[in-house]
Parts: sequence; C-alpha cells; structure tokens
Amino acid sequence: MARALALNPRRGMALCALTGLLLAVLVQGRLEASRPAGAVHPLLYLPSGKYLRAVSLGFDGLVADMIYLWSIQYYGNFDIKDRYSYLEHIYGQVITELDPHYLDPYLVGALIMSAEARQPEMALRLLDKGVNNNPDQWIVAFEAGFLCYDELHDYKRAAYYFRRASEIPGAHPLVRRLYAEMYNRAGDKRTSLKEWSEIYDSSDDPYVRNVAWNHVHDLKVDVDLHDLKEAVSRFSDKAGRPPARLGELVTAGIAGALPLDPEERDYLYDARTGDVRYRGSLVLGR
Amino acid sequence: MPVLELKDVHKSYRSHLSIRKHWVLRGLSLSIEPGEIFGFIGTNGAGKTTTIKLALGLIFPDAGSVTLFGQEGVPAEARRRVGFLPENPYLYDYLTGEEFLDFHARLFGIDAPTRRARVRELLGRVGLANRGDRQLRHYSKGMLQRIGLAQALINDPDLVILDEPMSGLDPIGRREVRDIILELKSRGRTIFFSTHILSDTEMICDRVGLLVRGSLKAVGRIDELVSRDIPYWEVALQGVKNGNLPCGQVVSRRDDRLLVRVESPADMHRILATLNGGGAQLVSVTPGRQSLEDLFIREARASAAVPAESPERHAR
Amino acid sequence: MLARINAIALNTFREAIRHRILYLLLIFAVAMISFAQILSLVTVGSEEKIIKDFGLATIDIFGVLTAVFIGIGLVSREIERRTVYTLLAKPLHRFEFILGKFAGLALTLVVNTSVMTAWFFLVLLLKGMFDANLAAAVLLLYFQFLLITAIAVLFSCLSTPILASVMTLALYVIGHLLWSLDLLAVRLTATWGKAFCRVLYLVLPNLGTFDIKGEVVHGVPIDAARIAWAAAYLVLYGSAILGTACALFERKELQ
Repeated sequence: MARALALNPRRGMALCALTGLLLAVLVQGRLEASRPAGAVHPLLYLPSGKYLRAVSLGFDGLVADMIYLWSIQYYGNFDIKDRYSYLEHIYGQVITELDPHYLDPYLVGALIMSAEARQPEMALRLLDKGVNNNPDQWIVAFEAGFLCYDELHDYKRAAYYFRRASEIPGAHPLVRRLYAEMYNRAGDKRTSLKEWSEIYDSSDDPYVRNVAWNHVHDLKVDVDLHDLKEAVSRFSDKAGRPPARLGELVTAGIAGALPLDPEERDYLYDARTGDVRYRGSLVLGR
Repeated sequence: MPVLELKDVHKSYRSHLSIRKHWVLRGLSLSIEPGEIFGFIGTNGAGKTTTIKLALGLIFPDAGSVTLFGQEGVPAEARRRVGFLPENPYLYDYLTGEEFLDFHARLFGIDAPTRRARVRELLGRVGLANRGDRQLRHYSKGMLQRIGLAQALINDPDLVILDEPMSGLDPIGRREVRDIILELKSRGRTIFFSTHILSDTEMICDRVGLLVRGSLKAVGRIDELVSRDIPYWEVALQGVKNGNLPCGQVVSRRDDRLLVRVESPADMHRILATLNGGGAQLVSVTPGRQSLEDLFIREARASAAVPAESPERHAR
Repeated sequence: MLARINAIALNTFREAIRHRILYLLLIFAVAMISFAQILSLVTVGSEEKIIKDFGLATIDIFGVLTAVFIGIGLVSREIERRTVYTLLAKPLHRFEFILGKFAGLALTLVVNTSVMTAWFFLVLLLKGMFDANLAAAVLLLYFQFLLITAIAVLFSCLSTPILASVMTLALYVIGHLLWSLDLLAVRLTATWGKAFCRVLYLVLPNLGTFDIKGEVVHGVPIDAARIAWAAAYLVLYGSAILGTACALFERKELQ
C-alpha cells in the first residue's frame, strides 16, 4: 500500500477518504445500537404551537404536517415503551395550535389516545377542541359521539355529539339516525320514538324510511307496553285489584284511549298476572 | 465653446476608518476644445481617472463645476454625444460581442436595423469581425479592449473619452488604436484620453495636460510646453586630464571621452575656455531637446518635495 | 425612457437566465414537489393537504431565495465589477438603471414561478386534487417575491452582497413576525411603548399580507378584494422602497 501511495498520491488520498467514511459509518452504527430505544425524542419537547409560529415564518401548515407525520411514526413504533407521556401535548398543543383546521391530527390523535393509550377522556378533550375550531366539519363531532357510544357507553354524551354533528350541513344522514338511537340506548325510548318518527316523516329515501319504520315499530311497542303496564299498576293500586280487561282502564278514567299496536290490533292482556303483551314480534328482535 | 470644462474642481475621499479627508483634486481647471486630441498624463494616483469620472457624472465634485456640452452638472442628456472606455473594462461575460454592442446601442434609442448595421461596422473597425458571436468570457485581454472601444463608438460620439486605451494591447493593437483616434479627429471629433505611455502622447496629441498629485502642472501644446523649458547643450570632450570642470554636469565618461551637460551658453563658453589650457579637445556640441518625459519627471519630483494636503494650490 | 429601462431589464433577465445557479434551484424545486408525493404516502389521513402544503411552501421558499440571492447582487455586483461605468456613461438616468434591474429580476421570477407552478399543478391535476384558488395563492406569493426583490435592490445599492443578504433575510423574517409586535403592544403598559409597537407594525413590510397558503389549502374561499388589497400594498410599499433606492443611487459616488 505504501508503494501505491508513493506511486500515486491521489489514489492514496482517495483511499484514506473512503476508509474514513466507512469507519465513521461503523461508529455511528455502534453509537445508535448502544442507545436504548428510549421514549425520549427531542420533538416531544416542542413548545406550544402558539410559540412555534414564531419560527415557522408563515409555513405553519407545513410544519404541522411534518410534526404530524413524525408523530404517527413515533406513536406507531411499538418498540418505544412509555411513549404516551406527551401524547396530549403533541396533539393538543403543538400540532393543533399550529394548524387548528388540520383534521387528521384530531381524528387520528383521538384514535391513538383512546385505542392505544387507553385514555378516552383525553381523546374527548382533543375532539372537543377540534369541534370548536372546526364548527363546519361534522366528522369531528361524529368521532366524539362514536367514542362515547362505543368505548364509554355514555349514551347521553354520545347523543349530544351526534346532534351537534347532524346539525352541520353536509353531515352524513346516518348521524341523525345514530342520534335517534342513542336515546333508546340511554333508556329514553319516548324521545327516541319521537326522533325516529321525525326521521321517517322527513325522509324520501325508501331505505331510510324502512330503517326508520323498523325502529318506530319496535319503539312504539315498547312505549305502549310501558304505558299500559304503568296504567294497570295505577288501576291496581286504586281499585285494589287488577283490571279484568284493558277497557276498564278507560272506563275508570286511568287511560284516555287504548293504544293499538303497530298492526292496529289490541295488545294482549292477562288478567291473572296483570301482564300486557304484544301479540306480534319485534322487527329488530332485541 | 469647449466640449468639456472643469472649473476649479476639488475632490476628496474619506476612507472608512479615518475622519481625515484625502484630497485627490485641488482646484483643477481644464477645458477641452472641439476637434482636438487631448492627452492627459500624470503620475499614478494623480487623479486622472477621478477627473474622467467627474467629467462623466459618475462622481460629483466637492467644489467647482463640471460642464459637458454646455450642460452643467452632467445630466443624462449631456452624455448623448459622448463615448467612454474605462480602464480595464469589465464587461458582461455572459453576452456575446454582438449582444454586448447591441445592448449598449439600445440605450441610445437607436432602432433595430441601424443597430445591426452599426454593430457590424464597428466590429470590423476594431478588428473583431469574425468574433462577434463568441461570449465575452472567451475573449482575450486585447479583444476585450477592442470591444470596449467599439462600445465607446457605438453612438458615433462627438467626444470620446478613453481611460488608458492602450493598456493590454500589443504594438499592433496600439497602432490600430492610434489610427482610430486619428481617424476620428479627421472627422472633426474630439478625443480626450489618459495614458502612461508618453510616446503615444507625443505622437498624436494636439495638447497635453500633466496632472501631478491633483494639480495640473502643465497644459498646452507639446511644442510650447517642452520648448518653454530651458534647453541644454551636451558637450563631448576628449583628453581631459583632470576631472575638474568649472561647471556643468558629467553625463558619461568613457576612456578619456567626457560628455558634459551645460545649461546656459555662458557655462558652455566657460568649459570651452578651460580646454585650451588643458590639452583637451572638443569633439561635439549638441543642443539637447527636452522630451515630455523630462518635463514629467521634473514636475513629479518638484511636487514630491512639497508637503501635500493644502487645497489652495492652483493650476497654472 | 421605457426603451432604456426595457434594455436594462432584458439584459438583467438574460444574465439571470444564463446563471447556472438558477437551474439548480429549479431542479431542486421540482424535486421537492415530487418528494411531496412520497411523503404523502407515509401519512395516515389526507395526503392532499400534505402535497398542497409542500408544493406551496416549495414555490414560496425557492422564489424568496431567487429574489434575495440574485437581487442583492443586481446593483452591487455591477459596481464591484465596474460594468456600471460604461452603462452610466450613456444618456441613461440613474433611476432608469435601478428600475430596469428590478424589472429584469421580476421577469426572471415570472419564469421561475411559472415553471414551478406548472409542475405543481400538473401533479395535482393528475391526482385530481386541483383547486383554482391555488392560483390565487401563487399570485400572492409572486407579489411577495416582488416586494422582497425591491428590498434586495435597495440594500444592494447600500452595501456589499454579504451585508445586503443578511439585511434582506432579516427583513424577510421580521416581515413574517409582525403579528408578535401586536402581541407585545398588548403586554406593554406605557403608551409610548404601545405607540412605538404600533408604528413599527405599520411601517415594517407586512409579508403576511401575501400569505394565503393556509386558507387555500383548507378550502376557504378567497374573494377578489383580498387580492386587490394585497396588490395595492405591493404597489405602494414597493414604490416607496424603489423610490428610496433610486434616490440613494442618484447621488452615489461610483468609485
């Protein structure tokens, strides 16, 4: 090699350069291997988006995009343990303050928060922010509603979000139906019936009408049965005995008129047990 | 009416770091008459380029006035009939020779067909007829000087101002430039140029101006300036035994031949008188002719002996 | 007068076009816009926003860089290389020289911006993401380039290329941070402090006027009045800058 150097100094210098580069690469590899796949990443310590704006010089949207892209790689990396400590900071303060109208961070951030970090309330906080910043985007409120419905089983809150979403022009009609259904899940069948009836009345789409009718059918049965049972109970308390026929409820002044079932038939009444039943079967079979 | 007139012009520079002013021109008055070739000579740093820049309105005088074609203060219009070649012209090296000349012609508002003809004609005149389509970055120094000269003549100017036009040219090139200058004069144009090379000045100039440290030491026709100076005689002697002479300056000595310079007829007679007694012989007497160079050196030396920085000194 | 300005402008344009750096910048810009495509593959969610943000940012940055780095040399390089002597020895007014230089770079920027924008729009059209409002965003970006060019020309008259580039870039950063002056004014208690901030806010070049990238990417409609106001600001502020440059250059000693 010395001879080669002596013969051609240029070749010798090139060889040195190449060797130097290879060694540097090896050292770098060694350095990275020795560092554990820690949860600490400098980007986690970014200041709030409000202050980041000072350095983004009008490129807020782009910087938000870049941080978002990084974040989904980071949070998707299962090798990094304990990676959720700054989750709310990254999505709630950094990205969404930089670009409040960028929807993906709200939606995907909430998904990470609820499904992976198991923090549904944190997700809802983020989605609330998204709803406030983007009152024209129904999807954010919808996601919040769905989260309450599916994860938290908090149907009242879900109903609130679904209503907000359905009021936004351009919302998917499904949202309205979910809203109606939430009352049912919450136990408020009367309101649910009212909402489903409105849907049925206001729609021209045969599919929607069919779905609505199914719900109206079953809800009407539930509501009627509930009302009738409650009237029977009041009669029993008052008269000391259950009524012999449902018609007695009317004559005694307890009920105004006897409701008919959706097929326009009477409800069945067993005087011995005091039980009121529907002679048909529920469409949705619940 | 002079084409260019400077009246009592003072010009100073202040370097960034010092507060003191450095006077470049002190009370310069100069006028260039139409149809003459005026040579502007001077020591390095005397202020020749500064004078030229003042004449063109590239810089402005601290005091005094500059009048070009009768317009004071050198407004843009006054330069319509002027052509200028700066020292070491740097040119747009990404342009070809033709594009370069065409660009400058446009600045005069010359229309396209005339421009084309003029460009072609000038390229031929400066000896670049076949090189017009090459980029200036590929030109040699001599070629750059020529294209610079062509640019100065693009508007067929009445006054041509040239700053060191011969620099960078070989003797053939210098001859060509001299010919162009003479040809311009024959068509009634005025030429004002500055140079170091005194032989060129002596050959073609009608008048010269000698600038030393910001003051004009001499201005006028060469034969007037030089003949104004005291002539001398060179006396060649042979066989002078002792070196003692009553007067005069020994110019050279070879074997027993002596060349002595005397400045007045009286001194000459005195030397001749000593010969008879010493056995020496007179070989020849030659009247010396002062050259411009002698004038130049003498004035430069005289000026160096005097302290500077006083703006009160005026030109003769 | 116009003929002379035109001649200088075309010459400046020719010089800029023959500058090899320009091609490098252009290739870079085109590469960046293409790179946006790759980036968009990594996202979870809408790739449209990423491509549009990236494309507009590329056009923005490279236009500014072109305006600054060619602009600062426009006058100072001519003085440094002494080419300005032969020019100003012509019957050319000094202000015509300045305006011609500015016009030449403005023309170069038109070509630059058009090439980048054409490529950008092509990519968008192929992906079906094109939106006519993007043209409005690019137009306002071009106004920004012109204003920065004027500032660069001004500093080019005043000092060396290095200093001029620092000062122009500084004004670019300040121009995008004027909103912080408003925030500062709110926090200051002294009235003179508030007034000072307000004055600075109004006098410094407000480059945010030309930034509608965010709105366009989010689909907010842009009305013509917005564009007209931005144009008016450009014309007025730009004239002030160029006027100052011309005034300074008028009595500049050309050593």
